[in-house]
Order: sequence, then structure tokens, then C-alpha cells
Amino acid sequence: MYSDQTETLTKKRIPLITLVGQPNSGKTTIFNFLSGKNFKTVNYPGSTVEYYVSRILSKHAVDANILDSPGIISLVPSSPDERLSVKALHSHPEYGAPDLVIVTVDSSQLSRHLLLVRQLQDSGFNVVVALTMIDILHRKGFDISETKLSQLLGCKVVRINGKTGEGIDNLLGAVKEGITSEQAGRRLIETRTPNSKRKEKLLESYREIESIENEVLFTLKSAKDDSRSSLASINEQLIVLGNNVRNRPDENTLRLDKILLHKFWGLAVFALIMSVTFTLIFWLAAPLMDLVNDGFSIASEFAFQALGDTWYGNLVSNGIISGVGSVMVFLPQILILFLILGLLEDSGYLARGAMLVDKPLSAIGLNGKSFVPMLSGFACAIPAIMATRTISNKRERFLTIFIVPLMSCSARLPVYALLTAFLFPPEDTLMGGIAMTAIYLFSIASSLVIASIANRLSKSISNLNDPSSFILELPAYRKPKLSVVGANSFNNAMQYVRKAGPVILYLSVILWVLTYFPNHTPQIDGAGRSEEEIVELTNSERIATSYASYMGKFLEPVLEPIGMDWRVGVSLVATLAAREVFVSSLALMFKVTEAGDDIQNSLLDAMRNAKIEGTGMKLFTTATSIGLIVFFVFALQCISTIAIVRKETGSWTIPALQLIAFTGLAYFLTYITVNGLRFIGVN
Amino acid sequence: MKNAAQLKPGEIAVIIDVDNDHPSSHRILEIGFTPGQEIQFISGALFNDPMAFSIRGSIVAIRKNEASCILIKPKH
Repeated sequence: MYSDQTETLTKKRIPLITLVGQPNSGKTTIFNFLSGKNFKTVNYPGSTVEYYVSRILSKHAVDANILDSPGIISLVPSSPDERLSVKALHSHPEYGAPDLVIVTVDSSQLSRHLLLVRQLQDSGFNVVVALTMIDILHRKGFDISETKLSQLLGCKVVRINGKTGEGIDNLLGAVKEGITSEQAGRRLIETRTPNSKRKEKLLESYREIESIENEVLFTLKSAKDDSRSSLASINEQLIVLGNNVRNRPDENTLRLDKILLHKFWGLAVFALIMSVTFTLIFWLAAPLMDLVNDGFSIASEFAFQALGDTWYGNLVSNGIISGVGSVMVFLPQILILFLILGLLEDSGYLARGAMLVDKPLSAIGLNGKSFVPMLSGFACAIPAIMATRTISNKRERFLTIFIVPLMSCSARLPVYALLTAFLFPPEDTLMGGIAMTAIYLFSIASSLVIASIANRLSKSISNLNDPSSFILELPAYRKPKLSVVGANSFNNAMQYVRKAGPVILYLSVILWVLTYFPNHTPQIDGAGRSEEEIVELTNSERIATSYASYMGKFLEPVLEPIGMDWRVGVSLVATLAAREVFVSSLALMFKVTEAGDDIQNSLLDAMRNAKIEGTGMKLFTTATSIGLIVFFVFALQCISTIAIVRKETGSWTIPALQLIAFTGLAYFLTYITVNGLRFIGVN
Repeated sequence: MKNAAQLKPGEIAVIIDVDNDHPSSHRILEIGFTPGQEIQFISGALFNDPMAFSIRGSIVAIRKNEASCILIKPKH
């Protein structure tokens, strides 16, 4: 007891440094320099806004925590994302108020970025400015005097080269001094300017900043001729040049934008980039996904061999390892998607993509900023729903969240692959490809139709006065930093595993229990049968008498009208864990053993021969297969999605609506498809 | 009075004021569209909406409707 108390008394609080900056100001690069790669993510309690926190690398000899935060434009927030960032900046619930704030300032956009510095200083923060993007400033023909800027702002200013890390030592020096200064321990007062005074205050800050800008920027040419100290003469030159040159955006960017923002060429390039993205997500990921799949199959097999055909052997191999495998198999695809998104974002293109689609999306109640979440939805709805936080308008954000589960996520891919392989012989890769593309286009088209209907309905229900807005900086184009993008993609993918993993794992175990018990060791007449056949019969007998089968049979009256039977029903119940489980569970239901070579071909054979029990009718026909595809396009079958929507929207309303509307619609459209096709003679 | 939504691609103008009644006016001021600044209409998406402007050395895209609250006068 005694020793505990002394420890708390003598334990010094580790100083906290927070990194603040506008989006695209080079914040993450500096964070990576200071933290190495040992960062962890922390959640802001009660929300899912993530922060990266790290102890500063020991080689830098500064003992402090460094906290990265999402980009903000000003201390007056305008989206849920920004509101939380600003709140956490003043006092982080876990780490408290920062002892020092490092503000990243893009020197090529000085006046816009200095606004945040001024606001931070006005609120009483202890500030150090890190000047970034000096290369772009040089490209414009200017240089900056950090000593002069430091004098005028009244805080330390350090220039950083994001590519080489030059200047990090100076930054650390400023940080060391800053956290020991008396300003560090000061209490912060959150200042609020009344609305009526806000414009006045803002214009005053900008006037002040403009005069600072005039004094610290000088042309590169004169910097070579004169020494840096003769700022007066340089400033004279600057006045001659006027604001026009200095306030020109990066010339390379302007030239590229002539094409990339062109009315027709811009759209053509956009379409091209999107097709390449999708091709990469599917074709590049496929071999990696096979690899992961094979790895888990071997592990599962190995566990089964080691533990034997016991209940715990089955639990470990079929419940746990296969369950974990079903999450991990999508990791390559998610990683590639994050990587491409990261490269597009870092190069500056993503913001342009959002701009190009804002008009069409706003016509159906969405926003240009819905574009990135919708794109991510093609890999997995979970990261996609988290990505909607950048949309400031609540209605648009909720509408985006509403339709994201309709994007054809990668978990549906194995199901579509199986069903298209059933419809077209595997040799016919062309028809298979066309069918797959058609499914994707169909799902995009239907999600847009549903969005526009939902938009009309929500407008007639609520009359929220929440004006829609699209204000987005289009950053200067630059070569993406692969190391930063790579590290972030990896981190995002790991976050996905941590979020989705546990849910899928628990559900897999529950599902395993439902399919394994109560008749876990059925008596099979083994006379005259090979060992393999006995295993096969045992498995199918066990499942036919399992709890899952009771559920399937209970569902049978609902399934019969859409041409399915209880076995498909069990597989559909199983998809609650993850959609792709449909395939493995069908294999289980139709007595397909993994013994032999190709599980897909033996499953296809089994499907061709399957008959609806008690009748001679074939179960899987062209009509029912297309019906199943339609079902998977619409139905909300993923518990993780429901959980994340609940968390992000703060209530059960939207997830409940999604569950009822999408699954109801799926059932209704499947019914029409199956019976319509049967009616016109397709079987 | 002319507003930024009426500019033609490539056209340069000077901001006179930002209409306070527009719901986005504060964010527009914050991002740098303040009186006295020079803007150029760089390019527009389909139907010129949103519009990309150069402002204070950056390019910022805003909706046509938001651009209409930026009151301008032609340069010189």
C-alpha cells in the first residue's frame, strides 16, 4: 500500500504532444518520423474516431507521448469528425490537455494554413509550427524565412523535409524546449466567439496573416543574389510582383487538372481509374486469397489430425480455425483496396474523384464525399461505414451508411462465383465474366435506385434544416510516399481484423455448435463402405439431425415459395456470420467431402443432382440460382454490418430499417425472379 | 452584382464580399475566400457543378450554389 502511494506521487506524468494540421499538410509524415512504426490506435470513448498514439522514438531522446489527430480546417468544427477532433484537442479523455501542439503548415498555402495556427494561439495552446511542402513552394519560385515567421507569430518555427526527414532534429529541439517551458502546464480555456462576431474576427485574423505572409515570403531568385538578411529589399521586389504570382496554385497541378478535371476527358480518366482499381482488387487479390485459404485449410486439417475426431477436435478445426480463416481470407483484398485508396489519396486524385461525382450523387440525396465510402464498400461494408464520418451533413451521411451494405462486398464474391459456375460451364470464362460484371452493375444500379427512394421518403418524414454542402480542397498533385501509404493500409487492415474478427469468430463457434449438436456421433452402418464414405455419411447425418436443421425446417414454409429447401435455409442462416460461409455450409449440407481434389467441382455436381426432398423436382435450376443471386444482392445478412451501423448512427433505427427493408426486398424480388422465370419456362 | 458562379473557365475576379445568409458562408470564409482576394475559376465538373477555384495558392472545389454567395467584381 505504502509503496503504491509513493509510486503515484513520484510518477511523473509523461508530457503529451498533439499533432494538428489541415488535411494534406504532411501531418502523418511527421508523425511517422517521430514515432517510427510503433504506433497504436486509440478510440475516442463513445465514438469510433481513431487516434494514433505513440511514445516518441527513444533515439530522439525526448520522453513524451505523441498523438496524431484527424485533419481539421479550423477550431470551429463543421462535421462530426471535426467536432470530436476539436474536443479531444482541448482535453483528450485519456491523455488530458496537450503540453505542446505541433501544427503542420503547408508553406505553399501559407495564409490558409496560418489561420489554424492563429486560432490555436488565441485559445492558449503552446504551439510549434512545422513548415512542410517547401519543395512545392520552391516550385512556385518562392522561399520562406522561418526566423522572421517565428518572430511575427511568437512561437518556434521549423522547416521539415518530408522526403528526407531533414529538420526533424530541429523540431525535436523545439519540442524539448517547449514541453519544459512554463507555457506547457497552462490550463486551456475554450474560447467561443459569438456568431455575430465570427466573420469580423475571421477577417481580422486573415488581415493579420496576410501582412505576416508579405514579410516572410521572398522570391528564390533574390535569395540567391542577396543574403537572407536583407529582407527589406526583397520585400520591395515582392510588392512589385504582387499577390498574383504568389497566390497561383502549383503550375504542374494546374496543367494536370486541365485534363483530369476536363468535362469529358476528366470523366474518361475517372472511369479508367475505377476499372483499373476493380480489376486489381479482384485479380491481384485472388492468388493471395487462395494462399490464405490453403493455409487455413492445412491448419484446420492439422488440428483435426492432432486432436482426433472428438468434439473439441471439431471445435478447434471447424469452429475456430475455419472461423478465423473466413475473416482472414478477405484480408488481401481489403489490404489492396486500402493501398489503392491510399495511393489515390496521397497523389491528390481522390478529392477530384469526389468532385466529379458530387453532382450525380447529390441528385439522389448523397454527396461527393459519399464516393470513397461507397468505393470501400466493394471490399467490406465495415471500413466503408466508418469512412462516412467525413460527410458533414447528417442526412447525407446516414443515407450513405444506409446504402453501403448494398455495395457488392467481397464476401459475396465466392457465392456469385459458385452460382455463375453453376449457370455456365467453367470452360466458358467469357460468359462467366459477363455474368459477374452484370451482377456488379445490377447491384450498383439498384443501390442508386434505393438511395433515391430512401431520399424521397426521408425528406417526406423529416424536415431537417441541415443544409447540404460540398467544400473540398483539391491538393497539389505529388508522388505518393509508398512507405507511408503502405504503413497506413496495413494499419487500417489490422483495424478491420480487430473489429470484425471477434464477431465472426463467436458466430462461427455458435454456428458450429448448431450444426454439430445434439446428435454429434450418429450411428452409421459401416458395412461394405470405405472409411471416406463413412466420414461423409457421418457428417451429413449429424447435420441433418442438428439444431441447425431444426431451424432450417422451421424456415421451410418461407423458403418453399422461392424454390429453396431447408438445406439452403440452414446455409442462409449460416451467412449471418459472414456471407461467404454460404459456400462451405452448402458443401456440408450436400455431403461434399474435401477428400479428393476440387471441392468446387464436387459441390457443383452435388448441386446438379440435388432434388427438393419429397418431390422429384430439381433444387438448383437456372431459375433458383438466379433467384439466389438476387437474394444475395439485396439481403442484409451480415451481423458485423448491423453492429457497426448501430455504433456509427447511435441508434437501432437505421440498422433495423436496413434489415427489414433489404431482406424483405431480397425475398420479394427473389420470389418474383424464381416464379417469373418458371412462368416463362426457364427452369 | 456578379457572383463567382457566373465566372467562365479561366476567368479571374476579385472577391468583394461573402453573403452572410448562405449556410456555408462561414466555412467558405474560413477556407480563404475573403474580400479582396483574387480567385480564378479553374474548371467545373459536369454542368459546372461543383466548381474548382484557385484561392490563396490552393485549389478548392465548392458547389455552384455555394459559389453564388461569393460576390465578385471583374479584375481591373
